[in-house]
Amino acid sequence: MKKELNLKNAFFSFIKNYFVGFCIILLVVITMIYQPRFLSASNLLNIIRQLGPLSIVSLGMSFVIFAGYLDLSVAGTISLVAVVTVSLIEPLGQMGAILAGIVIGTAAGALIGAVVLVVGANRKSEALFISYGMGMAYSALALMYSGGVTQKLGENQKIFEVIGKGGWGILSVSLVIFIVCLIILQILQSMTYIGRSVMLAGGNPVASRLSGIPVNAVVVLVYTLSGLLASIGSVVLVSRVTTASPVIGKTYETNAITAVLIGGTSLKGGNGSVMRTVLGVVLISLMSNCMNLLGISSYMQSVVRGLVLILAIWLDSKRNS
Amino acid sequence: MADEITDNILNICNVNKSFPGVRALNNVSIRIRRGDIHGIVGENGAGKSTLMKILSGVYEKDSGTIEFDGETVENTTPVKSLRSGLSIIYQEFNLVNTMSVGENIFLGRFRKMKGMRGTHGEARKLLDSINCSVDTHAPVESLSVSEKQMVEIAKALSFQAKLIIMDEPSSSLTTEEIRHLSVIIKDLHEKGITIIYISHKLDEIFEYCDRVTIMRDGCVVDTKPIKELGRDEMIAKMVGRTIENEYPERPHCVGESLLEISNLNSRKLKNISFTLKRGEILGMVGLVGSGRTEIVRAIFGADKVKGLILQIDGKTVSIKKPADAKKAGIALVPEDRKQQGLILPFSVKSNISMAALKGLAKRIFLNRGSEVCMAKRQMESLAIKTPGINARVENLSGGNQQKCVLGRWLETDSRILILDEPTRGIDVGAKYEIYLLMKKIVENGGSIIMISSELQEVLSMSNRILTISDGRITGEFDPEDTSAEEIMKSALA
Repeated sequence: MKKELNLKNAFFSFIKNYFVGFCIILLVVITMIYQPRFLSASNLLNIIRQLGPLSIVSLGMSFVIFAGYLDLSVAGTISLVAVVTVSLIEPLGQMGAILAGIVIGTAAGALIGAVVLVVGANRKSEALFISYGMGMAYSALALMYSGGVTQKLGENQKIFEVIGKGGWGILSVSLVIFIVCLIILQILQSMTYIGRSVMLAGGNPVASRLSGIPVNAVVVLVYTLSGLLASIGSVVLVSRVTTASPVIGKTYETNAITAVLIGGTSLKGGNGSVMRTVLGVVLISLMSNCMNLLGISSYMQSVVRGLVLILAIWLDSKRNS
Repeated sequence: MADEITDNILNICNVNKSFPGVRALNNVSIRIRRGDIHGIVGENGAGKSTLMKILSGVYEKDSGTIEFDGETVENTTPVKSLRSGLSIIYQEFNLVNTMSVGENIFLGRFRKMKGMRGTHGEARKLLDSINCSVDTHAPVESLSVSEKQMVEIAKALSFQAKLIIMDEPSSSLTTEEIRHLSVIIKDLHEKGITIIYISHKLDEIFEYCDRVTIMRDGCVVDTKPIKELGRDEMIAKMVGRTIENEYPERPHCVGESLLEISNLNSRKLKNISFTLKRGEILGMVGLVGSGRTEIVRAIFGADKVKGLILQIDGKTVSIKKPADAKKAGIALVPEDRKQQGLILPFSVKSNISMAALKGLAKRIFLNRGSEVCMAKRQMESLAIKTPGINARVENLSGGNQQKCVLGRWLETDSRILILDEPTRGIDVGAKYEIYLLMKKIVENGGSIIMISSELQEVLSMSNRILTISDGRITGEFDPEDTSAEEIMKSALA
């Protein structure tokens, strides 16, 4: 009986830690068997292309989850930033519009952080719904501002073209943007005082506060970061699809959260890493790609995605018991 | 010979239990006589909780036999155990805070009790039988710790418990409540119920128990009738060596006034004013709820209060949050180390470094090497027993966890250390180590405010004692010139 207990714990720990990698390998192998087309250059390029906006948004969501919160507003932020940016190209020029969009999105995130603080930073369920409500407000703002009209990026929008389609072979510009964000955030999380404060605040906000960690600042910071990265993701997204629909952000929040959790980060906060989120995004993109190649309907794909998410959460709970 | 004739309600034979990396129980054998009050003592990590959890069905033993009331116990669950007449009252209680007293007592058995009327009716009878006047409709969260304990006892009685295990029953009780509890224990004893009493409070063991089992490092050292055991012998067996005294010599380093508190007012506190001198250990005594924790939290900036004027070295300091207090050189080791002091799933290293992070950061980057040095330094200097600095702090014993919190603050430049119940739930050996640490701190120029419910501790370690009652300071005493009774009287004023 003693041996069983050891083995069970070790087993779950191992699976939990390498769950994502394991799934990725499994998925790739299955798809390779049934659809050799998977390995074609154009397909692989496509997969990497797909990584763009969602991965950037997920990076921001990671920090919110590290701190023990959730940001349900990114859909609204993404939509708002999209319509605002495109509408400002004429008066402000491309760079100006992009910068304005990012500033607005970041401010939107900061505002959520501020409201969460006012209501009470220790009320995490309330924070969830605050982000949800404000996200709805931002979505509504996007619709009102754009009049419900999907704006097209005109001709000769060079910068957007570069972001959306430019690059050198496999190294698309959007991928590079993602990698830069990834490196900065990974360094932030693992090597800086700020990153450590986020993890500590997520691990135990009471004990952290009593040790002098600025937990209130952490709350505002993570929502601001989420807003910032959602904005960057939005710009990349608009560049890719060359249109700005006022509902372009739909489903991004749930996918981003799914990516973070599938990667192995726990909902309770205080653990996980940026790299895990990257793996989570890779798995989600792969799932989408592979299941498409295997001819699985999109409804079925949603079911599978949901099941994988539940599996990840279950493994997390097992590890903590 | 005598053992064979005696009626043993519980026979634990050669029980073993291991967890990854640690042997929690090593060939444990104990015979509990029916009708006895059987004490179990031992340092933290001795295996007491593990044994109790095996008895009550939470854990499964690896090997050995357990016989309860004549029946072999195998593959048991908490529910089976309860139904067989074995109840356990945990230190943290096992109650649903949002439900009523009556519902908690008969949780899951409402149908058998024929609905709420039957439930509350029976609950009322049970509570009356132990002289408890709590309303059965009151939500448990509104009850005091002592009242919750009564509910737990009533719950055990509702299962017709033949054996009740009490795990540290008096650690959160006031003196008055402890007196009430002792009456109930004697009453249960007279009813013929066997009690297993686990406690660090040796006075209580000597007062209540017929027999006592001493455990150490997962083994049973001895089981003896209490009459045949002396206090020193018990401590020696618990710790594995003789302890000359329970307390070190009182430090005498008191200097000039360092911290002056005046005009501290809040919802609970009324015009608190006092001073703390350099090199002083100031003891604060008060009943649970008297405001003592509120006072120190206000000083530390953990709670918002009105009017507080705080002066250090004559200069007024504004403290609005704990970070300000830290900057001013004040440290707080909270009462509840698990919820408020530590981040349990994090490493010893992270828990120790968390208050001194800014110092570790060159610009914004943390210096990992320095962090490791910091953790190792405290691990050695405080003799923290841990597999390593990267071990999860939740796997450490209570005393070692407390040392981690202390170590954290020793790494900051704190001159004023506030300790809220520093030795609660800590074994004799580790307590002594913490007293020595306190002595070293004041000998090196620091000052300590110590809140404690153990009068002996306060009398032995403090240079001055303040009593708090109902949000007011009711007395100031010189420990060398007063008695436990005087202090208690003042705290009850």
